[in-house]
Amino acid sequence: MIECPSCGRRQEPSLICVDCGSPLAAPLDCFAALGLSRKLTIDLDELERRYHELSRMIHPDRFASKGPKVRDASVRATATLTRSYRTLRDPVARGLYWLELNGEKLGENNKRVPPEVAELVFEVQEQIAEMQLSTDPEAAHELATQIAARRIQLQFTMDESLAELERHFAKWDQPADKKMLILELKTILSNIAYLRTLIRDVDRALDNSKAA
Amino acid sequence: MSRIFGIDLGTTNSLIAAMEGGAPCVIAVGEKGSALLPSVVAIAPDGAVTVGERAIEMEPHLTVERDGRVSAVGFAGGEYGAVIRSVKRYMGLGGDEIAPEDRARYTFADLSGPVVRFQIGKRVFTPSQISAEILRALKDGAERALGKDEKIERVVITVPAYFNDGQRQATKDAGRLASLEVVRLVNEPTAASLAYGLNKMAAGNVAVFDFGGGTFDISILSIKEGIFEVLATNGDTHLGGDDIDRALVDWLLAELPGTLKLDRHVWNSARMAAEDAKKRLTDIAETDIVVELPGHSIRKHLTRDALEQMAAPLIARTLKRCELAVADAKLTPANIDAVVLVGGSTRMPLVRRRVAEMFHREPLCSIDPDQVVALGAAVQASVLMGTQGDMLLLDVVPLSLGIETMGGVMERLIHRNTTIPTSVAEGFTTAVDNQTHVDIHVLQGERELAKDCRSLARFKLGPIQAQSAGVPRIEVAFLIDANGILNVNARDERTGREHSVDVKPSYGLTDDEIERMLEEAIDLGEQDLEERLLISARNDAEQILGALRKQLGEYGRLVTAGERARMDEVVERLEAARTGTDRELIAKLVEELNEVTTPFAERIMDAAIKLALEKKSVEELS
Repeated sequence: MIECPSCGRRQEPSLICVDCGSPLAAPLDCFAALGLSRKLTIDLDELERRYHELSRMIHPDRFASKGPKVRDASVRATATLTRSYRTLRDPVARGLYWLELNGEKLGENNKRVPPEVAELVFEVQEQIAEMQLSTDPEAAHELATQIAARRIQLQFTMDESLAELERHFAKWDQPADKKMLILELKTILSNIAYLRTLIRDVDRALDNSKAA
Repeated sequence: MSRIFGIDLGTTNSLIAAMEGGAPCVIAVGEKGSALLPSVVAIAPDGAVTVGERAIEMEPHLTVERDGRVSAVGFAGGEYGAVIRSVKRYMGLGGDEIAPEDRARYTFADLSGPVVRFQIGKRVFTPSQISAEILRALKDGAERALGKDEKIERVVITVPAYFNDGQRQATKDAGRLASLEVVRLVNEPTAASLAYGLNKMAAGNVAVFDFGGGTFDISILSIKEGIFEVLATNGDTHLGGDDIDRALVDWLLAELPGTLKLDRHVWNSARMAAEDAKKRLTDIAETDIVVELPGHSIRKHLTRDALEQMAAPLIARTLKRCELAVADAKLTPANIDAVVLVGGSTRMPLVRRRVAEMFHREPLCSIDPDQVVALGAAVQASVLMGTQGDMLLLDVVPLSLGIETMGGVMERLIHRNTTIPTSVAEGFTTAVDNQTHVDIHVLQGERELAKDCRSLARFKLGPIQAQSAGVPRIEVAFLIDANGILNVNARDERTGREHSVDVKPSYGLTDDEIERMLEEAIDLGEQDLEERLLISARNDAEQILGALRKQLGEYGRLVTAGERARMDEVVERLEAARTGTDRELIAKLVEELNEVTTPFAERIMDAAIKLALEKKSVEELS
């Protein structure tokens, strides 16, 4: 139970006081903050609509002339809302958050490169190293062209993995073995994490070679 | 409750605006009814402050006198008093961040501290104090213009979107020092989008290209049903029209010996000439630039093409920032439905061409680019007063925030372009047994290593009850408020007890220092406005008396006995009045003296021209 700083009413945690409509700084999970049930499949338009509607009600701009307690509650409530929206809007952040809610982490046992992307990762990293060490500008240029082509391939693989993630989310709406699902979710998220790092490295290497 | 006003505290000019009958309007604060108050502050050796147009006149520069000679005038800095221009460039900077060329321009006090301090006479001034003078001048000017005894107490101040925490804090401090309640800091490009009334657009993406005197910002916004959501922002707080002027000055003074180039009088005269020429070339294709030096003049011809060649690398830098911002917003230039131009530097035809090329559309520029930010600030002020219906601004933090971890690595806790307010909680524990404190170093920036990021603050968590390593659990909440400013809170997870966190900012002023400055300001400001006006009137008197003495010495033969007697009589009364405190009397006598000396001044002018013509004809003959 929490207490409204404005009217004093004690109530269940939420972002808005049931009595007076003042913002409340309550500890809430991302789904609860946006008034959603805990489901991995999310309609993004509906999510944005709720986010905008709640922002209109609790944003600090609405309470600029109120006392410090209400202003402070508004800043905290909006911070919670914003963080929740950003987490749920991005499928990868949502998946990672889902693991967290289930007491799991991608963390430590993720050191091994997933076999699905291992070959790609090693090949590209080798090419990047070769390009960076190359003293012959023409050879370096040739490698940069090859890596740029790889970049396109990587993006396709990334898009595939993201689509797979969305398909996986739907599985949680059906009755299934939770342990299996968690394992599958971890595998997909770990592939994506590797691809993200790789794409970032490629972009950086290509930027550097352009600058040189 | 009193109205909230919108202030654009700009690098070159500052403005104040408010809603009048549902539309934002700038308030005429300038002496000639202008809304633009030049952000120039002159401080005399005795501490008297002048802001705006009259401060520009006191800038050290070379002037061609009535007799044709060139002489140096103005406050040359340090003990001679100083004129501070573009103070916004120094907001939130530490002493070690001052560039060598700035050191040639101004006299600074000890540069080892966390705040830049200008040395003027026997006193030192921080950039926040100088900015507070600009804010005060806006406030006084607007209150005069509004009449009706309306007081300006609550304001929204705009800042470049790319301002870091320290620069924002310094701006808020300036407001406090000017006795204003800063209800909100708003990002300039975001404010500009409000001024254009783009909320009438059903849904779409907008790019705001804000190229001012000293800063560049690009913001990408998504607008939907009155909600302005900033998707990404990028920029450079040290890139603006000033840099184009500097490039021009370097070119103008290229042939001069080094010592002369650094002379504050010469440099400023060249800068004024360069700025004028740059503005002229917006409308015409070529122009002449003349800088008069003692015994020598620099005369160069400048075409718009040549100017554009000099400006091109700077404009290329702005476009690179645009690309980054559009990519961060997960958009392409083709997704942008409207482009808004803000800032005086967007008047340059080259800027308009490049922006149009990049976004494949003609940018919007129907609102004066010098006023659009202040007008938007007034709209945001009315949002804060609750009189703008459903309109709401969701802005972002421009730079990532993190902490230094093992090995000097920056661990990002809040990523750049995250909507604010936002918060993140991080758990901390001890590394060795019976450790009673944990040191936390907060950073802002995008680089991997702590040393390459900007240090925001350091604080000590504790005292922690002595326990085995790893047992204590302290949760630290980093909260960025709607102004983009960081607040830190710590809580012991087991006891639930709040720890007080004594955050020591790496740059900027501590609360104690602000308090002290406020007290000083109150001490000094007791007679406040009245005293300032008196000092200013006395300075005027001194100036005219000095000038007259000099002219009588050189051209005494041009005065009739009757005129001389009347002059002497007024001079005597003014000399007496100027030691007193009746400023209206002083002002009246200055005016009177001006009147009785006018015929004399005209005769001097005639004589000077005649002399110059005679000389010329002699030269032509020989």
